[in-house]
Amino acid sequence: MDSFGRALIAVSQADAVPTKTCCCSAATRLRAAWPHRASFAAACRRARIDQPGSDPQNRDPLDAAASVASTTIPLRSADCLAVIPARDEAATVAAVVAGVRAALGCAVLVVDDASTDATVAVARRAGANVLTLPLGLGAWGATQAGIRYAQRNGFAGVITLDADGQHLPDSLPKLFKAQAKDGANVVIGTCVQRLSRAKRIAWQYLRMLTGLGLGDFTSGLRLYDGRAVEILAGPTASLLDYQDVGVLMLLAKNGLAIAETPVPMLPRREGHSRVFASWPVVARYMLHTTVLCVAQLDAGRRHTRAAGGAA
Amino acid sequence: MTSQITSAILGAALAGAILFLVRRDHLHGPYAVWWFGVAAATFVLGVFPGVVVWLGHVSGIGYAPILPIIIGLSLVLIRLLKLDIDRSKQERQIRRLTQKLAILEQELDRCSGRPPGDARSDDPDADAT
Repeated sequence: MDSFGRALIAVSQADAVPTKTCCCSAATRLRAAWPHRASFAAACRRARIDQPGSDPQNRDPLDAAASVASTTIPLRSADCLAVIPARDEAATVAAVVAGVRAALGCAVLVVDDASTDATVAVARRAGANVLTLPLGLGAWGATQAGIRYAQRNGFAGVITLDADGQHLPDSLPKLFKAQAKDGANVVIGTCVQRLSRAKRIAWQYLRMLTGLGLGDFTSGLRLYDGRAVEILAGPTASLLDYQDVGVLMLLAKNGLAIAETPVPMLPRREGHSRVFASWPVVARYMLHTTVLCVAQLDAGRRHTRAAGGAA
Repeated sequence: MTSQITSAILGAALAGAILFLVRRDHLHGPYAVWWFGVAAATFVLGVFPGVVVWLGHVSGIGYAPILPIIIGLSLVLIRLLKLDIDRSKQERQIRRLTQKLAILEQELDRCSGRPPGDARSDDPDADAT
């Protein structure tokens, strides 16, 4: 195992990042969830759907949709497929694959997004199945290929993570725990304090625009249940470019419950974010996302719930 | 040479070029219909420019020659919009075909036992699904 792999395991075992530094309080999260659409009290009323014994007669349609979504079955990691989109990640993908197999004991699929290095060979040697895309489809196109593979092969759910090693394998079970605890269809692993100032500003803008009260819109660490897989494998999701706002809005529009849970993450070892590569790229991304959000302004059906672990 | 002859030559030449492309199968089905309509309109307006004056009178436009320009620009915009819609549709198809190709290629390799390190074969529970 190389030095990066050792460092990755050491940090994940130490779990050095305290949970409370990774997330905000429940109240703060609720305020963030409903910044422009409803008062904090209204947000609290909506949040009551999570509490046992609440009167179903008094629920509004929004709550009813969330209630349906909340009847999810807890996922077992062994029944799921780990999807790792990778482009030119030969230096890190082996450690990531080995870490996921050790932590979850599930099948691992690396989706090679037209790499020019030895990513495919390295991933296969590490024990992963590999899909090789003949054309580069970008991060989301590669991820969706993995999701379609999971649907075709009858996996119960999909967990996605980046191939650059920033997501710690030992933190992956936290997503399954959060999914089982909160009955969410989608769980996003986030590390809010790791966000740069530019990202914080961008995310605040997107929170305001979309009404999705999430801490990180582009985290690649996500757990999708069968219902989310079914939606994301469809043609509607095929014209999205990133695993970000568009994906989340599509899921929210379909009444799925989205939760976040704090996880420790490592800094990116090599390369850079595909979204935050340079200022022109950021400007283009924000413009595209704004148009996408404006085109999807049916906020009444959107809802998110904070994971218990995040509160 | 009168302006009528000039416009007739231009209209007939454009209509002829479009018809030639349609007949040579350079323009596919629905596109051929669209361009065939454009060729017919160009020919009629070129040979009978009085139609433009009549249309201007009917529609209440004081300066009639601007009418074909407005209509032409509007049709170009509609055509561009349709072009982008078609491109988006094709982009979706290409992406999904690319994904399907990769999945089927992987299944083919798995059936023939070519790639080493098949993780799926290590997971008996997953095979049961």
